[in-house]
Parts: sequence; structure tokens; C-alpha cells
Amino acid sequence: MTAVLECRDVTRRYDTPGGTVHALRGVSLTIARGEYVAIVGPSGSGKSTLLTLMGGLDRPSSGEVLVDGTPLAALRDRDLTRLRLRRLGFVFQRFHLLPVLTARENVELPMAEAGVPAAERRARADELLAYVGLAARAGHRATQLSGGEMQRVAVARALANRPALLLADEPTGELDAATGRGIMELFARLNADGTTIVVVTHDERLAAEARREIHMLDGRIEREAAGQGRA
Amino acid sequence: MRTALRDLLRHPLRSALAVLGIAVSAAMLLDMVMLSGGIDRSFASLLLARGYQVRVSPRGTLPFDSEATLGGLADVLRRLRADPDVAAAGPVLGTAVFGRGAADSAVVLFGYGVEPGAQGMYELERGADLAPDDSLGVLLSAPSAVRLGAGVGDTVVLAARLDPQVASASVERRLVVRGEVRWVYDYRDQPSVGTLLPVMQALAGEGARDAASAILVRVRDGADLAAATARLRAAVPEAEVRNVDDLVAVFRQRLVYFRQVATILGAVSLIVTVLLVGTLLTITVNERLGEIATLRAIGIGTGRIVRGVVAEGALLTAAGGALGLALGLATARYLDAILTSFPGLPAAFSFFVARPDALLTAALVLAVTGTLAGAWPAWLAARAPIAATLRAEAT
Repeated sequence: MTAVLECRDVTRRYDTPGGTVHALRGVSLTIARGEYVAIVGPSGSGKSTLLTLMGGLDRPSSGEVLVDGTPLAALRDRDLTRLRLRRLGFVFQRFHLLPVLTARENVELPMAEAGVPAAERRARADELLAYVGLAARAGHRATQLSGGEMQRVAVARALANRPALLLADEPTGELDAATGRGIMELFARLNADGTTIVVVTHDERLAAEARREIHMLDGRIEREAAGQGRA
Repeated sequence: MRTALRDLLRHPLRSALAVLGIAVSAAMLLDMVMLSGGIDRSFASLLLARGYQVRVSPRGTLPFDSEATLGGLADVLRRLRADPDVAAAGPVLGTAVFGRGAADSAVVLFGYGVEPGAQGMYELERGADLAPDDSLGVLLSAPSAVRLGAGVGDTVVLAARLDPQVASASVERRLVVRGEVRWVYDYRDQPSVGTLLPVMQALAGEGARDAASAILVRVRDGADLAAATARLRAAVPEAEVRNVDDLVAVFRQRLVYFRQVATILGAVSLIVTVLLVGTLLTITVNERLGEIATLRAIGIGTGRIVRGVVAEGALLTAAGGALGLALGLATARYLDAILTSFPGLPAAFSFFVARPDALLTAALVLAVTGTLAGAWPAWLAARAPIAATLRAEAT
């Protein structure tokens, strides 16, 4: 299988008044197309830092991150933004939908930025909202949705431009167990339909849905294991 | 723009207060713009109210700025009228007179002696104008008509001065009211009367014989005003000869402090607008850093984010500016009424002149200010580090 994402000996250091913090200490991994990977580990193990580097939201102190073979370090800020828009999808713990927009408008936003014609993006937004089970809530403002519904809209938004890779940071962290379960099922369905997913989570049940689990500790990959979601 | 509007409506009270603050600043800015240019224009327009572009007054004085008179009037008029570009030259004598009407009690009036055929001092409102040889007629202003209790067709008595020995006037004229006029340069409620120049000269006494306070000169259309003024100056070297541009320059010099105050207050209002819009948008952006970082994470360009913040500033400024426009016009009208009620100022004079260019200037300056005020918060929004901001949001 072809690699969607590669990390080659990636490190990330932060200089703080209390000294240098080594968040990542030489991480290498490859995510193949169609994989569903969960990155787990205790707080401070570097899993969220790794996700931000994979998504080009931050730059490594050393090492290299490649998306579809393109080294992110070679990209200017504007090109990195375009890559995030077209090749990557993000889902965050706190959803971060625009509260003044409707669910549909939130999903349309990345498409509008990508220059998709209005009629096409509306149709695609409705299709995605139907996919995540929110067709009836398309016209509701984000503030009128429950936490689970907001996260579903965030997933739909992340899929808007048909990304090569979906990156999710604690997507069930703000949700109750039942609602979180629905998001887990959605992710499983997405992967089954061909979306490559990397999810950072404390949630063991969500991690278990993945086909592959990467356990991190002290900025390093401690071990890898196959998840229950394997085919 | 629609999203920017919705963002502002997330905090309706805050946005409303900001709009009100901007409206007050905009009103002050508009008033100051109207004031700084309005005085000159109003003065020039007042001087040209009857189409007379040149004023001749006694040496070292401005027209009606002192009680000095210009002697040898007939000779001065002859020299002025000899100029080929002079279409009319009208002498005016201003003096204090006493008047008695129906009430039979003396009232103090301001008397104008004029030549009806060449006058730039009044506009007829009712009745008839004086005929060139009507030495028995008089024109009243509305305030003098009230004080004398007289109207068109009534007889009034004008007296020059009271003789302190006998408590009676040395010269008296019984005159018939021909018409009611509006004296262009009168201050509010000024009780003025007008007669033929020789009548007023007689009432003013021996010193006013063959004299006038000023001469108003109308240069024919198409003539070079500056050149004509220079020729007239040479023709009557014993007098001050100034055209409207000269008088406006003198007036502007006298009101230089007024203009400076207007400039300073206008600048203050702009600074207040920048601070208001900038503070509000900075608070808004800081509240939404997580949201903005997420937008950038999902690939929304900084251009769109910056445009959104700037659009919010523009909307606030537009709403505040529109409200400020109405407020500024109302305030200007109120202040104008107060300022023009000061004694000695012509009632037709305006300190605040609402001109399209003034409104446009204020609107443009305000729009630029509002946009610039949004630039700093927009820059903040665009430069916030994505990963660090999201990390801070999550903790």
C-alpha cells in the first residue's frame, strides 16, 4: 500500500523558562492509504504534538514529515495552508465550529475556500451531513446543536474537500459515553468507506476500533499493536 | 460581510455600545470638518449674497468694523464708476438713529443710508422698494417693524440724536414705510431701517455729509476680479479696496484659532474611533483565537480571516458613521443656532455648513480610520501560532 504520511526521525523541542522540553524524541512511522491508526499514551507522551506535526500545524525541530511524498518543511506557509485545505481533514476535541453559521455553512466553508462552486458545495455539504446522520439539522446554527451533533458536523467539515488523511485529536474527549460511541461508529464507517484516519485518544474503546494502535511514552513510540478494528 | 455581521451580533450589547461610541466620534468629526471649512464658505457666500464682489472702506478698517467713514464720497464714487469693469458701486452709511412709531416711544435703531439702484445690503420681503428720489420713504426690517409698531404705509419718525439740553432731536424726519426688507448683514433681531443715502447723511449729522461707511462694488460678469480690484485700489488710494478673496483671507486669519481647535477636536475624534474599533476587535479576536486557529488548521487562508476581522471593523464604522452623520447634522444645527446668536454676527452667517464634500470627507476619513483600526487585531488573528493556540485552548 502507498504511504499517505511518513514521519522520519521527527523531534520537537520547546524552549521554556524552565529549560528545554523534549516533546518528541525521534519518531518515525508510516501511515498507509486506507489505514485507521490510533495514537495512544498518557498525557505528555507527545501524541498530540505528533498529530500537529503530521498535519503541518507546527514544524519539527528536526526530522521530516511527508504527506503524499511532499516534505512539509519545503512548503511555504501559504502552500502548507493549501495542503491542509485539500489533502488533510482535522477533527478537534472542542469541535470549533463557527457558532454564527449553520451546520451546512460550516461544512461548506473549506469548499468555499477551495473555490468549489456554490451549488456544488451545497450539494456536497448536504450529502456529508446526511452521511453523518444530520440531514435534518443542516439549517441549524452550531449553537443549536448538541455536543455529539457538533462533532458530527466537524467530521463532515473535515471531509468536505475529500482529504487523503483525516486527523482527529481526542474527538470523543468532550462527549458522554453514548455520544462518543456514535462518533466511534462513524469513524469506523468512514474507514470502511476508504478514508485514512489517524486519531489521537485517551479513549481505549475508540483506540480499539482502529486497525493499528501506536503507544507513545516520553516522546517516543513505545510499541505498536493491532487494534480490534482490523479487517 | 454577512458572517462579519453575524459575528457582531453574537454580542449585541457590546456592538451597540461600540456603534454608539463611534457615532459620537463621527458626529464630532463631521462637525469639525463642517466647521473648519464652513466658516470660510459661509462668509464668502454672505459677501456675495447680492453679487457685489468688492468692498471699499476707510483706510485701515474693514467694512462696518468701526464707525469711521469714507469722506469725499462723490469723488470716490466717480473714480470707481470710471473703471470699465465696474457694473455698480453702491455707497452705504451706517449710523445709530432713534425711531418713533405708533407707540410714540423712542427706540434705538440701526440706520442704513443706501442708493436703491445700487445696493447690496437688503432683499425686499414685502411692500415696495425705495424709488431713487424717494426722500420721504423708509424701509424696515422685521425686528424694527415690531419695535416701532409700524407696517407698510405707516408713518414713523427717525431722529438723529437727542440734544441733551432740550431732550429733543436736533434733526427729525417723518417718513412713510414703503416696504419691509431683510438686511443681509444684520445680526439676529437687529432693528434696522433704511433710507436714501442723503436722508441718513442728514440724520447722522454734519460729519457724515458726502460720506459713507463703505462702498459695495459689483464687477461685471467675466471680468478679471483681481485685476479690477488692483485698478480700483490704485484709483482710490485713500481707501481700503478688498475683494471677497481678500476679505475671506483676513477673516480666516482672524479665526485661525477656531480652525486649530476644529482640527484638534477632529483628530481627537478619529483617535477615539481607532481606539474604540481597535479595542473591540482585539477583545473579539482574543476571545476567538481558538476558533481562528481551527479555521487556519482546516486550511482557511489568513486572507479570508483578516478580511473577516476587517469587515467587522468596517461594519461597526459604517453603522456608527451613519448614525453619527444624523447626530452630527443635528448637533451642528443646534450649535450654529447658539453661535450665530452672539451679538454682532450676521444672522445669515453659518459656522457649520453641510456640504457634500464635507460629508464625503468625513465619511472617507472615518472609513479609512475604521479599516486601519481593524488592521492590528486582524494581524493578531493571522499570526497566532496554530498548534500553540489549539494546545492552550485544550488546557
